[in-house]
Amino acid sequence: MSAALSRGAGAAVRAALPWLAVLLLALAWLGTDYALGKATLVATYAIAGLGVVVVVGQAGQIALGQAALVALGAYAQALLVARGVPAPLALPAAAAAGALGGALASLPARRLGGLYFGMSTLAFALIVEEALARWESLTYGAAGLAVGAFAFAGWRADSTLAQAAVSVAALALALLACARLLASRHGRAWRAVRDDELAAAACGIDTDAAKMQAFVVGGALSGLAGGLYAHWIGFISPEQFGLVFSFELLMLAFIGGARRIAGAAWGALVIVAIPPLISLLRDRLPGDWARASGLELLLFGAVIVAVVLLRPAGLAGGGQGR
Amino acid sequence: MLAFVQVLASGVAIGCVYGLVALSFVLIYKATETVSFMQGDLLMLGAFAALGLHAFAGWPLVVAALAAVLAVGGLGAVLERTVLRRALGQPHLVAVLLTFGLGMMMRGGVASVPAAAQDMHRLPFAADTLAIGPLVLATSHLWVITATVLLAGVLAAFFRHTRTGLALRACSEDARSAALMGIPVARMHTLAWALGAALAAIAGLLLAPITFVHLNMGFIALKAFPAAVLGGLTSLPGALVAGVFLGVAEALAGLALPEGAKDFVPYVLLMAALLLFPQGLGGGRGRA
Repeated sequence: MSAALSRGAGAAVRAALPWLAVLLLALAWLGTDYALGKATLVATYAIAGLGVVVVVGQAGQIALGQAALVALGAYAQALLVARGVPAPLALPAAAAAGALGGALASLPARRLGGLYFGMSTLAFALIVEEALARWESLTYGAAGLAVGAFAFAGWRADSTLAQAAVSVAALALALLACARLLASRHGRAWRAVRDDELAAAACGIDTDAAKMQAFVVGGALSGLAGGLYAHWIGFISPEQFGLVFSFELLMLAFIGGARRIAGAAWGALVIVAIPPLISLLRDRLPGDWARASGLELLLFGAVIVAVVLLRPAGLAGGGQGR
Repeated sequence: MLAFVQVLASGVAIGCVYGLVALSFVLIYKATETVSFMQGDLLMLGAFAALGLHAFAGWPLVVAALAAVLAVGGLGAVLERTVLRRALGQPHLVAVLLTFGLGMMMRGGVASVPAAAQDMHRLPFAADTLAIGPLVLATSHLWVITATVLLAGVLAAFFRHTRTGLALRACSEDARSAALMGIPVARMHTLAWALGAALAAIAGLLLAPITFVHLNMGFIALKAFPAAVLGGLTSLPGALVAGVFLGVAEALAGLALPEGAKDFVPYVLLMAALLLFPQGLGGGRGRA
C-alpha cells in the first residue's frame, strides 16, 4: 500500500515537472498577472475537459453538449453565492447540478449508445441554453448574471495568484479523484464498455448503468469547473456556454489524447493558447486581411482540421493505457 | 381556420428545409458512417454562392442557382477526396471535429468577404402572395414545397432506377459485400458527399426566400438533427417526413403554446422520441 502510494507520488511529481517549467516560462515571458490569469483558465478548462475525457475517452461515448453542464454548474454557483452560501460550500452543489444534467442528457439514449448520445446531449444542451435565456426571473436571461469573488470566511480570492492557486488545487483534487475512480471497478467497467460492449455485458457488467455513471461523473467534473469559471469570469450569460464551447472541450480532450486523464491539462493549455496566438498571427498579416471579421473563425477552424488530420490519436498519444 | 391553414403551410415549408438538410445528413451517414456537422455551413455557402453569382457577377438567377448547387456539390467531393476520407473507420469523434472545423472555416471564409458579412441579403424570389378565395399563401412557401416534392421524386427515381443509385444503396447496406460485387466503394463515398453537399446547398436556396441570406442561416441545420433522429437516423424518406413533421409541430406550438416554447419543441421531441421510440417513429421499417 505504502509502496503504491509512494510510486503514485513519484509519478505525480514527474508529471508536474513539465508543468512547472511551462509556468516558469510563461511567468518570465508574459508577465506575472497575465500568466497567472491564463494558468487559472487552463486549470479550469482542464477540469471541464476531464469530464469529456471520462465520457469520450474512458467510456467511449459521445458528448456534444458538455458546455451546458458547465453552464448548469456556473449558474448553480452564481445563484447560491448570491444568496449568501460560501463559495467552497456551493461548489459541491455546482458539481451536483452538472451531474444531474449529465444524467438527464444521457437518459434518453442509454440503451442506444454511440451517436445517439451525441444527439441527446446536443438536444439537452440546446434546451438548457434556451431555458437559461428564457427563465429571466431566475437567470436574468440574456442580460447575464454578475458573480462575486471566490470568498470564504473573510478570505477573498481577488488576486490572480489566489485564483490560480484555488483552480490548480481543484484540478489536482479532480485528477486525484479521477485516477482513483479509473483504477476502481467503475473505471474498468467503462473501459470494458468502450473496447467491446458485448464482451463487457457478457462479463456481467451492467453496460447501461456504466454509461450512465460515466455521464454523471463527467457532468460533475464539468459542473465543478463551471462553478469555478463563474468566479473567475465574474459575469455569466447563456451564450458563453454555446455549441462552440462544447466543441472546444471535445477538442481539448482530443488534443490531450482522450484516453489519458493528464492529457486534459495539455489539451486545456492548447485550447487556451489558441486565441492569443491567432490574434498574434493576425497582427502580422498585411492590410485588409488583418481586419476581416471572419479571420479568427477561419484560423480556428483550420487549427481544428490540422490537429485532427496530423494527430488523429491526439497529442499525448491515444495508444494503450488508460 | 384560415389562420390555421396558413400556419400549417409555413410549417410545412420550413419543415421541407429541415427535411432536406436531415436527408443530406442521413445520406452521408448511411453511405460513409461519418457524422457531418457542416451541413448548415454548406447550406449557407450554397445560398451565398448563388447570391454572389446573381447579384455581383450578374448571372441569371436560375443559372446562378444551378452553378451554386454544382459548386457546393463539387466542394463536397473535393473535401471527401482530400480530408474527410481520413475519418473513415475512425471513431465518430474524428469526423465530428473534422467537419465542425471545416464548417468553421467556411463560415469564417464567407465572413471575411466584407459585402457578405455585413447584413442580410435577399434573393429576388417571388416575394408576393397567392390568394385562393379568402386563403392567402406566400408564394415562396409554395415554391419550397413544390421544389421539395420534385426533388424527392428525382431522388427516389435515382435510388430505384439507376445503376449508380443501386450501387450507392448497396454501399450503405454493406460496404464489404458491395466491394466484393465490384462496386467502387471509394467512388461511392465521394458521390455520397457530393450529393449530401449539393442537397444542403439546395436547402439553402429554398430557405433564402423564407429567412433571407445571412451568415448564421446555417444554424437551422441544428434542427435537422432532431429530424434525422425522429426518422430513425438511417432512413432517407424517414428524415424528410420527420423534417416536415417537425416544421408543422413547431408552427403549431408557436400558435398554441406560450411565447418562446416553440424553440424547445424540436429538441424536446428528439429526447422524447429516443426515450419512447428508440427505433425512430417509423419503427425502423424505413428503407431508402
